[in-house]
Amino acid sequence: MNFLAKNKLLFFAISFVVIGAICNFALNSYIQALVVSFMINAIMALSLNFITGVANQFSLGQAGFMALGAYTSAVLTKVYFADQWYFIPLTAFAGALVSTVAGYLVALPSFKLRGDYLAIVTMGFAEIVRVLFLNWDFVGGPRGYNGVVKWPDFLVSYGFTGAALFLTFIVLYHLKISWFGRNLWALNEDEIAAEVMGTPIAKNKRFAFLFSSFFAGLGGALYGHHLGYFSPASFGFLMSVQILIFAVLGGLGSMSGSVLSAGILTALPEILRSLPTGGIDIRMIVFPILLILLMILRPQGLLGRKELF
Amino acid sequence: MANKIKVEHLAINYGNIKAVKEVSFEFKRGEITTLIGANGAGKTSTLKCIAGLLPAKSGKVIIDNGNMHIDITKMTPADRLRAKLALCPEGRGVFPNLSVFDNLMLGAYLNKDKKKIAALVEQQYEFFPKLGERRNQLSGTLSGGEQQMLAIARALMSEPEFLMLDEPSLGLAPVIVEQIFDKFVLLKKNGLGLLVVEQNASLALEVSDYAYVLETGEMTLNGTGESLLKDSRVQEAYLS
Repeated sequence: MNFLAKNKLLFFAISFVVIGAICNFALNSYIQALVVSFMINAIMALSLNFITGVANQFSLGQAGFMALGAYTSAVLTKVYFADQWYFIPLTAFAGALVSTVAGYLVALPSFKLRGDYLAIVTMGFAEIVRVLFLNWDFVGGPRGYNGVVKWPDFLVSYGFTGAALFLTFIVLYHLKISWFGRNLWALNEDEIAAEVMGTPIAKNKRFAFLFSSFFAGLGGALYGHHLGYFSPASFGFLMSVQILIFAVLGGLGSMSGSVLSAGILTALPEILRSLPTGGIDIRMIVFPILLILLMILRPQGLLGRKELF
Repeated sequence: MANKIKVEHLAINYGNIKAVKEVSFEFKRGEITTLIGANGAGKTSTLKCIAGLLPAKSGKVIIDNGNMHIDITKMTPADRLRAKLALCPEGRGVFPNLSVFDNLMLGAYLNKDKKKIAALVEQQYEFFPKLGERRNQLSGTLSGGEQQMLAIARALMSEPEFLMLDEPSLGLAPVIVEQIFDKFVLLKKNGLGLLVVEQNASLALEVSDYAYVLETGEMTLNGTGESLLKDSRVQEAYLS
């Protein structure tokens, strides 16, 4: 199974261009913004799915890495690049790198822990990051970061965010099916047996965590430039949980599942919002019920561990 | 060429609890050595400690080459595997969502020579024909006996000189257990040194060259398999 096979690549390229064109010429800016939101959500879901789905290390700190990416990129564009949008790819990359470094620092001590304990440590990390930005006046403190430079129009935003999603998907998908992915599956399923095989389990976990935090930072940076505003509250515990929901619903271990569920869960609240319910907002009732039903009927997520192609 | 592994005054603690008080024994290449004992006697802890999964509180594990002694007490599990000491863990420990082939490939993780690995895989398929038939099947869908064979084959992928097996008969039908023990005899004839931990004492003692009895963290008896089979204390405690 080779994802980079030419015909598949061509198919994705053409559908990407067609969807972009339809959104740009036929649909309003509300839908356009949703499409970009979906792609960012998909990047976040993928980043978490790699560490939690493939390597089975339960992380609840994805919002913290997202915040690091968002703030780094926003500050860099403002301070060094005079708010010129064409530097965003560069600063987003820098944001992702800062997030990776933070990921390394978190990983060093915490991969002696397992399961729930790791979740608590990563959660604590995300809180530290949030409180740090909350008290840093230069980036707006609790008022949030106003005036983040935005993409000039939909097509540019669509192109770059789409490219980032493609990069995230390709890298994580290939890692999953590589020998490194096989080592992660092994430690996922039986740590003792994996250690007895001589695989360096602590190193593998750290390495997987680095990739996860890199792409979470990248997603966070794009999030900031997409909305033009964020505050520490944007990156609270709820955000981490939301990302977890994306990954679990799509199927832990399934990369295409994460993209699929990000699409569904981005669209669903909006569809429910637009239903004619006579002024009563049933969205917050229906949405959780749907989630509960889905988890009862398909506890392994939409795709389980399989991929769509 | 190493010819035996010596365990000297090994003690293992879990926190303050003494799991193994002090055990000394050895196992040689070309022999099957058995460790029998009741639940909680410290058999699994002893194997885990020899494989490097648990730290030793005191004592030593030594590879004895006749003229050279290598102390492996402080080595990582990977380094012990490089020193040709492999463990087939309790409860089989196959990776259920990976194929038979992928499981075997993980067993050869430390080997970087692709041709050699391919030859080793074929060798396992020959040794366990059932695995060859099911090479692309997810190992979680194999029967218990096949999973045990896979676990053994996976351990053999590292080309060990010493192989430790933790309860290979666990949860298997007697006829399958016999098949597996037949393989042990073949492996022993090929020069492998086997250390088998067993609750199924009668069969284990029948095939083993030497055996030790472990009781609440201490060695209480030892002797050839045959002599222990006839020993009244063993008969009373483990064979009746």
